[in-house]
Amino acid sequence: MLAGIQLNGQSQADMCINEYLVLNTDDFEDDFGHKSGWIELFNSSYGTVNIGGCYLTNDPDNLTKYIIPKGDVLTKIKPRQHILFWADDQPYRGTFHINFTLEESDEIIFVASDGRTIIDRIKIRKDLDTNVSFGRIEDGIGTRDGSEGWDILKRTSPSTNNFGVDRESASTIFKRIDPYGGIMAFTAMSVVFLALILLYLVFKQIGKYNVRKNMERAEKTHGKQAAKAEEETSAEIFAAIAAAMHIYTQDDESHDIENTILTIARVTKNYSPWSSKIYTLREKPCKK
Amino acid sequence: MENQGIFSQIADNLAQFLQYTGFANATWGHLLMIVIGLVFIYLAIKKDWEPLLLVPIGFGIIIGNIPLFPGLSVGVYEEGSVLNILYQGVQQGWYPPLIFLGIGAMTDFSALISNPKLLLIGAAAQLGIFGAYAIALLLGFSAAEAGAIGIIGGADGPTAIFLSSRLAPDLMGAIAVSAYSYMALVPVIQPPVMRLFTTNKERLIRMKPPRAVSQTEKKLFPIIGFLMTAFIVPSGLPLLGMLFFGNLLKESGVTRRLAETARGPLIDVITILIGLTVGCSTQADKFLQVKSVYIFALGALSFVIATAGGVLFVKFINIFLKEGNKINPLIGNAGVSAVPDSARVSNLIGLEYDKTNYLLMHAMGPNVAGVIGSAVAAGILLGFLS
Repeated sequence: MLAGIQLNGQSQADMCINEYLVLNTDDFEDDFGHKSGWIELFNSSYGTVNIGGCYLTNDPDNLTKYIIPKGDVLTKIKPRQHILFWADDQPYRGTFHINFTLEESDEIIFVASDGRTIIDRIKIRKDLDTNVSFGRIEDGIGTRDGSEGWDILKRTSPSTNNFGVDRESASTIFKRIDPYGGIMAFTAMSVVFLALILLYLVFKQIGKYNVRKNMERAEKTHGKQAAKAEEETSAEIFAAIAAAMHIYTQDDESHDIENTILTIARVTKNYSPWSSKIYTLREKPCKK
Repeated sequence: MENQGIFSQIADNLAQFLQYTGFANATWGHLLMIVIGLVFIYLAIKKDWEPLLLVPIGFGIIIGNIPLFPGLSVGVYEEGSVLNILYQGVQQGWYPPLIFLGIGAMTDFSALISNPKLLLIGAAAQLGIFGAYAIALLLGFSAAEAGAIGIIGGADGPTAIFLSSRLAPDLMGAIAVSAYSYMALVPVIQPPVMRLFTTNKERLIRMKPPRAVSQTEKKLFPIIGFLMTAFIVPSGLPLLGMLFFGNLLKESGVTRRLAETARGPLIDVITILIGLTVGCSTQADKFLQVKSVYIFALGALSFVIATAGGVLFVKFINIFLKEGNKINPLIGNAGVSAVPDSARVSNLIGLEYDKTNYLLMHAMGPNVAGVIGSAVAAGILLGFLS
């Protein structure tokens, strides 16, 4: 159970505050048609994170100000996905409407479900224009204090990535820089060779060491001449001897093909005391 | 009047029933695919070409191409159907690593350990993958699709399925069937290429018998092999991890039961499921496309390039090897990882030219190196293109 709690905590630690907008007059509106400030969280991991039971607050002395309701499937954030909270001080409007606004706040704090561990916090800039958001330039990357990796974004991007239009896939980029596959062939073949050359070098050395050790052992036991002869013996000879011994010692193997022959592998009678005559007889009375 | 109502009701029901039958929904595509499935089964039973693969795939093709009325939740592409659930192992890519576990548990790396330079042949034969990749790009495939098609040249069914499920899921059926078909056709495709690139003198080269390998070396191989390859290509982790783990189960000497399960019942179960579901995935409407024809052509080409790459590489390194240490180029073809068929081909061709020159033991080295090489190559493609 302890491991489970820890794991849960670790997963929640992958969440971060990704973007916020304080004054909203002409930006996105919520399901009720209202415009208000918002906070975007981002799951920076490659696993789903459940933020149900975590807290959002603007007060360092009250870390449990707004509890994100448990049991809502929408609080399970898929890998590398965003979730938006409306800072409209209208919590009765649903899971994603929190009980404070950003105009009245100095910072945003995201707290783990234990109510004590601060996962992420960011100071709110007071110089932001209306309908302008402040966020991480790359999703999930940047310092907590907003000094590095954060900027005023060219456009607001609630519930989507902060760097603008979707980037080209790695595959498309690769085809553009390497239309004939030459670079790929050269690079990839080099890596395959590198991996196997390393393996070759290591096992060459291990082999040499092993041969030397065997030689030393054989010399000690049988003398130099015999050791040399043993060294020259190929694995094929050992394989042949081993196969012959196997067939000889495991007699039933020789009946593989002649499957109509009955082979009695073991004829023994195990002693069992349960019906032993000794135990069924009365002891003779002994005179002392 | 009432009777007329009942009859019309029955007639309506019968008409509806007829709409559900395969006869009403059959297209020429379905029939063609069923014929292909039957050919696979014929080749497996009559010609004994990779029966463990071709029988499940062939029957799977027939199952997958029974014309269905959509919405009955029975087709392989209909979410929640039995076949769809079984197909998840292919789609999510977890059957191939389990197959690799079994392969690891049944592979003896002794030939490779005793003569580690054979590892390099396994690397050279991966040229087929990147040759096919380049040609696929020229034919207009995207880089991800080209990578998935190229991996057919690794001659490794599970790796092909694993990579295509990640890079080009739409082409997975064609790629998997193509990979397995050509693996079955190794004895047909490789010999002409081997003969073309070797001289009579080279075919008669006798290789030095391998030295005896100690148990310690065998135990160290999966651990060191895994650490080195996985650190270089972490994206190949599922395949490399399972392959070497399976081998450690075999060589450790203390996990005999686990090794027996991995190389016996487990791999058998997964082979049945992977073969059947891959066959099912070749539903005519998804499979019969011009792209599939290209994939089959590129698959054949990649096998040819891979074989040539292995053979020519052996000829190249022979330049630097002393007399007596030279390698017979006929084992170059075994660098593709179709274990043990390509090694068997090396042996058979070798015996054609010298009745006493058994190359099987030597060919097994590059053959198992090919398994490692293709898993590494798949990791690189995945890292670059996903």
